[in-house]
Amino acid sequence: MLAAITQVPYPSWLNPADNTWQLVAATFVGLMSLPGLAVLYASIVQKKWAVNVLTMMFAGFSLVLVAWVLWSYKVGFGSTSIGGGVHNGVQTQLSGVGWVKHFFENFAGKPGSITSAGNESSQGVSAANTVIPFHFPTTTLAYFQFVFAAITPLLFLGSVLGRIKFSAWCLLVPLWSTFVYGIDAFLLWGGGYFAQEGSLDFSGGYVIHMSAGVSGFVAAWVLGPRLLRDRQHALPNNLVMAAVGAGILWLGWNGFNGGDPYYAGIDAAAAVVNTNLATAVGVIVWIGMDAWLSKEKKPTFLGGVNGMICGLVAITPCAGWVSGEGAIAVGGIATVIVWFAWNYLSKVRPFSKVDDALGVVYTHGIAGLFGGLLLGVFGNPNMIEYGCGHLDSSGQVVNTTINTYSSAGGSCVPFSVNGLAYGGSAHQLWEQARAAVWVILWSAVVTFILMKLIGLVLRGARYKDEILEVGDLAIHGEEAFPEETLAARVGTLSSARSGGSSGSGGAGAGGSGGSVATLERPDDGPPSGPETS
Amino acid sequence: MKLVVAVVKPFKLDDVKEALKTLGVHGLTLTEAQGFGRQRGHTEVYRGAEYEVEFVPKVRLEILVDDAQVEDVTNAVVDSASTGKIGDGKVWILPVEDVVRVRTGERGSDAL
Repeated sequence: MLAAITQVPYPSWLNPADNTWQLVAATFVGLMSLPGLAVLYASIVQKKWAVNVLTMMFAGFSLVLVAWVLWSYKVGFGSTSIGGGVHNGVQTQLSGVGWVKHFFENFAGKPGSITSAGNESSQGVSAANTVIPFHFPTTTLAYFQFVFAAITPLLFLGSVLGRIKFSAWCLLVPLWSTFVYGIDAFLLWGGGYFAQEGSLDFSGGYVIHMSAGVSGFVAAWVLGPRLLRDRQHALPNNLVMAAVGAGILWLGWNGFNGGDPYYAGIDAAAAVVNTNLATAVGVIVWIGMDAWLSKEKKPTFLGGVNGMICGLVAITPCAGWVSGEGAIAVGGIATVIVWFAWNYLSKVRPFSKVDDALGVVYTHGIAGLFGGLLLGVFGNPNMIEYGCGHLDSSGQVVNTTINTYSSAGGSCVPFSVNGLAYGGSAHQLWEQARAAVWVILWSAVVTFILMKLIGLVLRGARYKDEILEVGDLAIHGEEAFPEETLAARVGTLSSARSGGSSGSGGAGAGGSGGSVATLERPDDGPPSGPETS
Repeated sequence: MKLVVAVVKPFKLDDVKEALKTLGVHGLTLTEAQGFGRQRGHTEVYRGAEYEVEFVPKVRLEILVDDAQVEDVTNAVVDSASTGKIGDGKVWILPVEDVVRVRTGERGSDAL
């Protein structure tokens, strides 16, 4: 006799633990943007630019999301590529194809929306995960990928702030997200050309950080520098809030790297620990180098924040594929390199000629590049991202021991990276270098074209000097720390103490458009009683 | 009536206030100021970039005084604000034409 069908909360392919972690991780990454990065950047610029930074952060984040669900998620993660190299989640050209054809049939997914109910409720799928099905819906995968797509342009806002037109920013963000981020994401993660060739980027050292660093640099170059006076007085306005932003950025990264194995398993935990380790080393190294090698010979808080960012960025392409010693090495090496670049490379061309306002090209561009290359050195074959075992018909793991999980053999070889330091060949390093060259060139060229186009359309992508002199008040009509004694609501200035004024309607206020209704107040005329001298 | 203006180091403010209270001075106005004379400023470093700050934080005191008390008040301020090091500040005295108490309208010495 058939059992009665009862209501169940979710389909069998959905594992609530995996779905939970994925959504939590996505939320952490979202927090890294709002308020983490928003507050960090807004605190290290001059007071007069704080509101401008905050507005572009919130607007940028929002623009990416709308574009994402309407078309660009599928450019990065769609299951069918333009050109057909990937079809319905299956890679169709695993061998025997010339590299040009291979590239152009596997460089981007077909754009499309995911806003329908059917799209949102289906099982997540992308060309990168044909072997093990995702245990959560498309919505979870799309939102998780969205928060990464969103933070990327926000990172290079740091290069162009202080002179880019708000309208130029609003045009740049969705276009850049589609053509640079979307395509790089498909190529490295969505099952596209570089993924098929074997290049790896665990969480976005290349796709996010190196790309942002290069793009910001190029955009800053096209835009021209900030006002000379702004560069001469480029002091932060609030180090305490900067710490709030930096702290959220660090701990939020647990989701950034911890969510990228896509399963709430061993590798997620390893990625979290490795991330924190590399970051801690970064903080210590930069502070130490400031204390011993800088001109002032003082440990600095903002230096610690720079080191923090270097460690975070450098470990991002390798977090789940290195072990603890690799994480320490990656964090240390990348931070040392970036410290020298920040203090010395910045003084030579072309770096000395481009006003990358917050130095994104160093802490994200260079750190991301070296992190991605170092994967080819420190990838540890025993750090397994996906192991071997048994799956039931709905794709859930059953009866898999740790020994089975870690063993190689038969049709299953566990997935890990074999770097130079562990006896592996230089092949991975070579694949990393190839992908790096692509991401750098593509980011630079497309950003250049977009900036020029936007400049044409808007008749200049930067504000006139008269506006730059004033900053927030001229652009937004708002300032970061308004002084209430100096400002009065339009229409209330002529409303005297209520003893003599008429009732509601603000009849004494000049001009109809700006008046504010005066509330009835009890008469509080001059105090009565004897004067005390 | 005179206005005694004193620019002194901020951490000496408490000593100066105590000295004035002892003399019976009723009120004073304080503003935070930045200044330099012979005292040099300092260098700040943010994200590896050096910034020179020529000015040094000071406090500016303004005290309305009757002619008879000017000498005592000036000496009290100078003695209590002094550390013997560069940057101690200066005190100067201005003549005042009239003073009015806002609450009562009293004028002249009655307003002090």
